[in-house]
Amino acid sequence: MAQLLEQFINGLVLGGIYALIAVGYTMVYGIIQLINFAHGEIFMFGAYLALMLITVFNIPFWIAVPASMLLCAMLGMLIDLVAYRPLRDAPRLSALITAIGISLVLQNLARMIWSARPRLFPTETLPAFLVSEVNMQTGEILNAIPLPGGGVLPYRDVCILLLAVVLMIALNRLIYLTKIGKAMRACAQNRVASNLMGIKTNQVIAVTFAIGSALGAIAGIMVGLSENITPTMGYYKGVAAFAAAVLGGIGNITGAMLGGIIIGLAEVFGAGYISGGYRLAIAYIIMIAVIVIRPSGLFGKSTGTRA
Amino acid sequence: MKDKLTPKNIILGLLICFLPLLMYGIDDIVDFLSRSDIYLGWPGGEYMLRIIVRACVYMLLAVGLNIVCGFTGLLDLGYVCFYLIGGYTAGILMARLGVSYWVALPLAVLHGTAWGLLRGAPTLRLTGDYFAIVTFGFAELFFRIIRNEQWLVGAPNGQLRGIPSPTLFGITFNQNWHNYYHILILLTLVIFITYRLQHSRVGRAWVAIREDEQAAESMGINVSRYKSLAFAVSAAIGALGGAFIAQFQVNISAPFFEFWESILILCMVVLGGMGSIRGAMIGAAILGSLGEVLRPGFIIPYQFGNARYLIFGIILILLMRFRPSGLSLKKA
Amino acid sequence: MRNWFVGLLIVGFVSVLGCQPQDKKNTSTTQTTQKELKVAVAAPYTGSAAAFGEMIRRGAELRQKEINEAGGINGMKLTLLFEDDAGKGSEASLVAERIVNSPQKIVAVVGHFNSTCSLAGQEIYDRVGIVELSPGSTAVEVCERSPWTFRNLYHDGFQGKFIAQYIDNVLTDIESVAVFFDNDDYGRGLRNAFVAEAERIGLNLVASEAYERDSTNFKAQLTSIKAKNPDAIFISGLFTEAGLIVKQGREAGITAQFFGADGVDSPDFLTVAGSAAEGTYLTTPFTFGAGGTEAKQMEANFKALHGVTPDTWAALTYDAVGMIKEALEKTYNAEASIEDNRKAIREHLASLDTPEEGYEGVTGLTYFDINGDTVNKPAYVKIVKDGQFVAAEKQLRELK
Repeated sequence: MAQLLEQFINGLVLGGIYALIAVGYTMVYGIIQLINFAHGEIFMFGAYLALMLITVFNIPFWIAVPASMLLCAMLGMLIDLVAYRPLRDAPRLSALITAIGISLVLQNLARMIWSARPRLFPTETLPAFLVSEVNMQTGEILNAIPLPGGGVLPYRDVCILLLAVVLMIALNRLIYLTKIGKAMRACAQNRVASNLMGIKTNQVIAVTFAIGSALGAIAGIMVGLSENITPTMGYYKGVAAFAAAVLGGIGNITGAMLGGIIIGLAEVFGAGYISGGYRLAIAYIIMIAVIVIRPSGLFGKSTGTRA
Repeated sequence: MKDKLTPKNIILGLLICFLPLLMYGIDDIVDFLSRSDIYLGWPGGEYMLRIIVRACVYMLLAVGLNIVCGFTGLLDLGYVCFYLIGGYTAGILMARLGVSYWVALPLAVLHGTAWGLLRGAPTLRLTGDYFAIVTFGFAELFFRIIRNEQWLVGAPNGQLRGIPSPTLFGITFNQNWHNYYHILILLTLVIFITYRLQHSRVGRAWVAIREDEQAAESMGINVSRYKSLAFAVSAAIGALGGAFIAQFQVNISAPFFEFWESILILCMVVLGGMGSIRGAMIGAAILGSLGEVLRPGFIIPYQFGNARYLIFGIILILLMRFRPSGLSLKKA
Repeated sequence: MRNWFVGLLIVGFVSVLGCQPQDKKNTSTTQTTQKELKVAVAAPYTGSAAAFGEMIRRGAELRQKEINEAGGINGMKLTLLFEDDAGKGSEASLVAERIVNSPQKIVAVVGHFNSTCSLAGQEIYDRVGIVELSPGSTAVEVCERSPWTFRNLYHDGFQGKFIAQYIDNVLTDIESVAVFFDNDDYGRGLRNAFVAEAERIGLNLVASEAYERDSTNFKAQLTSIKAKNPDAIFISGLFTEAGLIVKQGREAGITAQFFGADGVDSPDFLTVAGSAAEGTYLTTPFTFGAGGTEAKQMEANFKALHGVTPDTWAALTYDAVGMIKEALEKTYNAEASIEDNRKAIREHLASLDTPEEGYEGVTGLTYFDINGDTVNKPAYVKIVKDGQFVAAEKQLRELK
């Protein structure tokens, strides 16, 4: 039972990270119907940029995080401007191939700049409460909440969860209560018509990219805190997050959040109770089953066939 | 692609037929020069042939994928799973059960076809991105099964070793030039079949489905049947490529069939122009050899070892920006 | 069209002139005096095992520099060609094809590092007949399958057995062990050897969990392992994942002793695991602390050339290049064909089959059994102390 609770929390933390990434996929898809393969790479860049700001420019952690988000938002907008905007009216597949191309370029650029070696945030640069460690003599764990049954929940994971929830709520409010959110929803429904109504669709799309990328960047930093930073992290986490976006009904933001949690839980329980080799496979099985049975995702509105 | 006996086509044909000869010829020139300590930096002929054979396998796969992606207009992100099924069916039959290649090849193709139909059945109603996602999921599942199910392959990570080369009349076909003619025959066969299909009722039905599924259905085309046929043919070709690569590589392992391969094959089809057999082949020839062509120049500074993939990405972006409908001159 | 035709004529002419049947060509080609001897060093210079490749390259470069400064091999310069297999079998077979067919007349191959790559390259090296001397592949079957493949370190069958006995005999307060293994050929092979030995000697095995290469989150499996409460956890995998496992394990409150194998033996393990690495045991084919004066000398030269401390793989590669050099010195005949020279190297290596004949290098004496395996080299145990690898106080010399 204690193990179950601990696994459940592991799943929630992972799911929170997936949800943040999945939102980036789903927002872009909702507006321009493009599977933005490069999103996983932006997520990876978020982690690397924060690391660079901290280690090379000696910027404190609390400033590096928003700075990295800002830089990634700019990167996202730049990609949209340079690569996707010229292809707005081209066949859908050209844009998809471009996305794959950008993903390749960014991943290998990261490899060239930072090498393939795994990196971590140096412990001394992080706020103390984010570093939890076991005391080998007493078995006591610093900076963590003890759970019933011997488990522990590091403060860092609590922060990740809280931050994910806060950001999700903020995003939800942004989309449903502000003017730009309204414009985004309009664009998602019909881009041409929104344009005719005087909405500057290109600007709205750029903002969408910026928001998605900034959320991706913070997810990247979270992963960098609990795991490590490598050039391929974008691909591995990106694929799972993409499955989450599909699960929730691609284009649907609330769906993406819940999808992320479900995929995170499925992955952790799969790895913990079935086999470590089938980690992601369980996520894929859920994803395929959902699509075949309910093509618009668990939380998506049925809109007939999507072309 | 009308059968024109222009000098250009004849030369091209001759070149294709005598390519290994040409390669070995160049080998000898290089060899001759190296005796006087002149190094051209030209890679060896066997190595070139090996790359060419690999590019030919990619051509085969691109033509196969083109049936689903180009003709029926469904985006398949998991084509590599048929390649995997073909490879492991033939590989397991040959390496572990001692079946002859000439029996294993058709069995692998049949197995691939069966999975093509099976995968197709639940996805008949799906279109566009949803279809793409299901195909992606399928490919990943197969990839993981091969990696994890040791009883099937006999070793972890899908390591299948010592797949014997095919033999016929006491000759073992294990040289690179054997493989070259081997894949050439398979490729010709596949192109012939695909070409005939494209210009038959079936091909026209596929294009009708691509252009407008509902309209096609109302015109009396049995959409499900024709889609299933497309899946089956496409899967069969993929499995054929897999069965060939198994004996060509001798050892296969799961990383041969990564998601990245699906994307690579898709890029080939798109690069050449979707819906065109010639386009798919041109795309495969370019992308299938590009990685190796770019290798020597960038190997020296080690941290830049991945620069070739970077360039690969840039080429994709530029192509899509300036020639979105592919390199092929004919509009798809 | 005319240009085409002329081009074809030239090409046809050249082909007819130049193209003799393959086999005939091979025997008829003799080399004139070559001023350079070329040896390929194939390793993963990119990809996830790039940290190993980097050390292999440095070790080989040091040896090359030393050989050439001392006058080369019988007056000929040694040139190393570094070929990148990215740690992938598919790349390795292409690299192998490149090596054996290069007009540069490569006489031998040092590599590959990953067992998968050694096996993939082997098929091609065998067909042509060129020695593959691996300084890193430990999968049991690597040497069994080919007469052309040698290695100058132990294999996983030995290593798995060694670790089980070390835990049982030396770390006596450990009663129960869990295995956490990489689900690929290296991790599985080593795990199987370990589990077989553990069962034989009655070590209590409480859990066996798998993980996938390149995964970065191990909390789920670690939680399952923790529930079984083992005294020690043996990680059968590579350094990146092992580093994360140790780090995440300590965070999850696991106080068990971590034990790794030679795949963990890289400074990057310390970087990834940070302070959690403290006290981790690992086995390695060689440690500088156990080496003689030659090893000290090599360590100093290595630092002078590259500015970093050498690791096990640098030393093993240093020796492997040395063995090829010795073979070339004794057997190379500039008048003979390249095939004969390649074969002579193999014959020389195969003749090193007794301790008297063996090659004395910085990593100790190396001689081969009938498969080309090195059976005499001991395994050393290292421990992480104050963020450094140091030799463990108690070593295990004899296996039961």
